[in-house]
Parts: sequence; C-alpha cells; structure tokens
Amino acid sequence: MRDQSILLTGATGAVGGDLLRKLAVRKGLRINALVRRSDRDPHERVKAILGELDVTAKLNVLEGDIGVGSSLGLDDATLASVRRETTHIIHAAGSTSFTLPLAAARAANVAGSRNVLDFARGCASLECGAFLSTVYVSGKRRGVFAESEYGDEGHGFVNSYEQSKAEMEEIVRAAMGELPLILVRLSTVVGDSTTGRVSGFNTIHHAIRLLYNGLAPMIPGDPAEPVDIVSSDFVAAATLHLVENAPRPGVFHLAAGRESSSSLEELIGETVSSLSRFRPAWRKRAVERPLIVDLDTYELFVRSVEETGNEVLKGATRAIRTFAYQLAHPKVFATNQAATVLAESGIAPQRSSDFYPRVVKYCLESNWGTRPC
Amino acid sequence: MRAQSTAGIHSIAEYLPPRVASVRELHDRGLLRGSPETLTSFGFDTVHLAGEETNIDMAIAAAERVLEESDVDRNDIGMILYAAALSSSSTLWDGNGGSPHGSVLQLDSVPDLFKYPASVLQTELGLPNAPVVGINQLGCASIFAALRMARALIVAEGELRAVLCVSSDKFPAGRHRDLAYNLVSDGACATIVRRGDRINRIVECTQITKGALWDSEAIENEIIAAYFPTATALIERTLAKAGLEMDDISLVIPHNVSLRSWEILGRLIKCPPERIYTENIARVGHTIASDNLLNLRRATEAGMIEKGDYLLLFTFGYGSNWACMIVQH
Repeated sequence: MRDQSILLTGATGAVGGDLLRKLAVRKGLRINALVRRSDRDPHERVKAILGELDVTAKLNVLEGDIGVGSSLGLDDATLASVRRETTHIIHAAGSTSFTLPLAAARAANVAGSRNVLDFARGCASLECGAFLSTVYVSGKRRGVFAESEYGDEGHGFVNSYEQSKAEMEEIVRAAMGELPLILVRLSTVVGDSTTGRVSGFNTIHHAIRLLYNGLAPMIPGDPAEPVDIVSSDFVAAATLHLVENAPRPGVFHLAAGRESSSSLEELIGETVSSLSRFRPAWRKRAVERPLIVDLDTYELFVRSVEETGNEVLKGATRAIRTFAYQLAHPKVFATNQAATVLAESGIAPQRSSDFYPRVVKYCLESNWGTRPC
Repeated sequence: MRAQSTAGIHSIAEYLPPRVASVRELHDRGLLRGSPETLTSFGFDTVHLAGEETNIDMAIAAAERVLEESDVDRNDIGMILYAAALSSSSTLWDGNGGSPHGSVLQLDSVPDLFKYPASVLQTELGLPNAPVVGINQLGCASIFAALRMARALIVAEGELRAVLCVSSDKFPAGRHRDLAYNLVSDGACATIVRRGDRINRIVECTQITKGALWDSEAIENEIIAAYFPTATALIERTLAKAGLEMDDISLVIPHNVSLRSWEILGRLIKCPPERIYTENIARVGHTIASDNLLNLRRATEAGMIEKGDYLLLFTFGYGSNWACMIVQH
C-alpha cells in the first residue's frame, strides 16, 4: 500500500485501532482515519491509540460519522479530496454490542455500511474495499460454515449484532458486481498473542470476570466442540494482507478453525488454571468450574433467576446468554480461502491455548481495563 | 464379621408443629422477604410453625417417638448426637424472644453459655448411659455429619451398638422465612443408627466445605452460583466412591429446597424427576436439617422403596457445606 491512500473507518475502535497501529508505521502510506464525532478531541483519541509508536505514514485524522450519509460527515472539500485519493477502504466502524435493539444495530451496521458503499462508488481509484464482518453471520447454524456461504440459512440469530452484520453482508454482496469488495469475517478477537493486551473488552472477557467472581455456575454448550477465538495481532496482520492481496470479490474467514481451537471444556480449564496461576489468592475461594449444560437446562436456570428478581444473578446470566447461546450451536469456520491468500505471508492463527492464558493475565492485571497495565 | 462393621439407619421419627401456614398467610403477616408468587412457582405451599414449643421440645418429641416405635432397647443407645443447624438451636433459647432457660442471644449471665440442649435431651429421654455430642456449624447439613459420625463411631468402637441422632430447629419468630428463595419450616427429626443393620445401610458419606463462602448474607449470590456445580461434583464423586452410577439409584431423597432447584439439579446429575422424591417440598417446606430423614421415612411408608434399593440423600447447608450420602435399603 506504499504511495497509496487508505480510508479507515472506526479507527479508534478495538479492531480499527489495531489496524491503525499497523498502518501507521508504513512509510509513504496515506491514512485517512475516520473518527466518530464526539466530545473528545479526535486527535487525542488517535494519539491514545498510537501511544509512543513512531508514525511514518502520512496520518490524517478526520472527524465524521458514517451514519449521516455518503458524505460520512465530511465537509464538501474534504469529501472530494478523500474520494479522489482513496485507493483502499477498510470499513471497521460499527457496533459490536450484542444487546442493542435490532433497529439500533441495523442503524449502526447496515445503514452505516450502505453509506460507506455509496462513498466508495465515488472513489475512482478504488482498488479494494474491505468490509469487516463476523463469522457469526452464520447465526444458529451448526456444523461447518464455509466462506462461500451466507447468513443463518433460516436457523435464526443469537443476537441483533449477528443479524445486523448478516444484513450488512447482503448489501455488500449486492455491490460486489460494481465495486472491488471483500468481506472479512472475524472470529472472536480476544487479545494480543504476545502481550495479552486487550484492545476491546467483549463478552468473552466478561465471562472470564464472572468466572473469577464465582458468578458463572453453568454455560450452555458441548464440552467437546471448539470455541473459536483469535488474537488481535493475527486479525490485524491478516486483514491488511487480504486488503492488498486477496482476489475481489471474495469472502474470507479470519478464524482459528478446529485445529487451533480449544474445546469448550479445555477453554474453561485454561481459564481456571490461568486465574489460579496468575492470581494465587483466588484459589482460596475454591470457585467450582462452571458446568457445561444443554440449552434446555440453561434456559431453565435463566428462567429461575429471572423469577427471583435477583439483579446480580440476572445480570450475570444475561451477560452469558448474549454470547453463550452460540456455544449451544457449535460450528467450525472453514478458512480455506483466507489460508490460500495468507499462505505465502506466513500469517496464520496461533493455537488459542498458546496465547489465551496471557489474555486472562491481562484481564487480571488491568482489572478488566479499569487499571493501567 | 462384615455385618459388625456396617451401620444402618434403623428407624426414623419426626415432629412437625401442628400449626400450618400458607405462603399467602406468611406474606400477609410480613414473614416473607421475596414475592409469594415466586415461592409458589418454586413449589412451596405450606410450612409448619412452632408456637410454644422450643427446639428442645421438638427434639424430645421426635426422639421419644423413634424410641417408642423402634425395637431398639434404650440400654443399647450408647451415644446421642444432637445436630443443630441454627446457632440458636445449640442453646436453650425458646425461639420467641424470651429466654427462660438461658440464651446466647439474650444473655442474662455467663453460665447461660454452658446450658446445652443435648444434655437436657439425655435426661429427658432417660438415657443416662448415653454420652452426648453436639454437632453444629454445618447449617442444614448438620444431620448428615451426625449420621456420618454415628457410622464411623460404630465402626471404630466395638462396644457401641446404637447411636441416637436428633436434629431440631425452630426459626426465630417474626423473621422472614424465605432464605435464598427457599421457605423455612420448623421441625425435628430423630433416628437410630444401629450396628449391623442392613436396612438403610450407610454405604457412603461425603461432604464438601467451602469455607470461603461462610458469610451467607454478604455473598449470597456467590453461594447460589456455587450451589449447582458443587452439588453436581459432590454427587458424582459420591457415586464413584460407592462404585455406583446414577442409574443404580432408585430414589433421590432430597432436602426440601425449591422444586425448581431440584428440576435443575436433576438434569445436571442425569436423574429423571420421577426418581426424586419431592412431594414434601410443597406441604412441609424446608425444615432446615430434618428434611432428608423426614422424606426417607415418608417415602418408605409410601411404599416407594424396596429392599436392596440404593438411595441417594443430598443436602446443602450454610457454611457452606454440601453433603451427600448413599444408603441401601
């Protein structure tokens, strides 16, 4: 991407921030980092993402909003300039909340993407537009989910995030005939494989916290089925490689796959052993491992908790429910197409058991992002 | 020789106060913290409320009954184990706010601290040759500890033929009777554990104590969350120690906590609902430490147990203690 210009949306988000850090050290690259308008100074927010990094790219921070239309909230002059120079787009903005009402999730993930597509139509030099999605557009399907497949196939979705992303994919697919687009479907990103650093705390980290606090008695799922998690450094490196090298149109899974994933039972074991190892005092609490139960049993437990009106336990079961229902619909994400493109680069997902303990350690040391670490 | 080293639950008797109150009545009298609808949904209907009876009165009544009904010679009772779940049950507190015999709750004098119900029980029952031991600090699991110790003592001491185990608890008057979404009843239970008995032979006794969960008020949520995984682990461990599987268990004899919790635990331990004897949850409620023996007696009387059947008894007591026992009828 040297001497080229990339528009990065969601530059201060979890994945967007990781991408920005990788792009920022590419000499000669021009980056238009779109940051959502807010009370905080956009430059300060980007600075917080980059830290002490030696920025060698030409970084231009733009305050905007993908929700306002194809202008993305930019003034006419800026819009025209960015359109003229943009050769690549990475659309990383959106909501990853699992608990938004569907209308709000659609506004964030579908309407925003439609505006980015409209923006792309005005970019004469566009070489690749990459839209970040999720492997969980597969919803409640079970079994192998191939990159060539789309949506829930009528099985339904676990949450509004999945559904809105699947709907986002529909409009991107419809535009693939006219624009050089790729869809990059991400698995659950948990943290850096070397440092354990977490860019964005999500439901997995919340579940670790519930287990730590002894508030996770059971999780729905199959003990032997894999839980697909990936590192943030793999996702950032692989996404940039795909943007530069993948055939378009195309759909690519950035997932661990069965080979690099721990089973649900193993992952719970790794969580417990990591908590014990990195916080020895925790062992005194003798927290029992969460039981892995069938969905009906979990539903019965959740219903009982709801009936009691106990706010703490309700909060805990709801937090688990937003993602754990995926565990009750086990599936494996095929990565053939991504692996083919990534093969020569040497970029590949790490075994989750090799880096996941570092993520748990980071959660503990940062107190789930509330303490400098 | 083998028979000599075994012990069984020979006979059981109960005492439940005649006064019965419904969930609705308890609610109307301000004796519930939570909603009556939730308690009803969780399977509770009525509980027994002690009036003038003290915990020791109820204990004596249950113990007299078991001595009368059994064929055990009173001279064979070599020990009394008095199991009290509530700390107040280890005293001679009358449960109504007064303190006619002395009480640690309303202390009149230091000597009151040395007035023990187990001793009163011995003299009232006329068992001068039976030394007494008080068992407490295990909440509702107290009687399981008594049964376990009775069996262990019989195995260890050749002269000991029979042990009288008694539990009796009276909830403080005027206090909320729902604890952790369970409804508490007053009552007592007595049993004789006898050397060599093949009826209700005690096969295995296990217990898990999680001392970190001692503060039942401050960390109630953690205790509730720990309940199911720990219960499942203990039951599986007990079955394994006995060389049995859940399919070998003819009937689970539960403590009378919410029916809903037994629906969930039944699923977790892979025991179908028809093999869990839950009939007394609605009509008796949770008599703290007396549930399992009361249920064992009633299931036997109802003809639900046949000779040779394996039974699994399980309870949880604050402290936090999970206790499990397998007996063969």
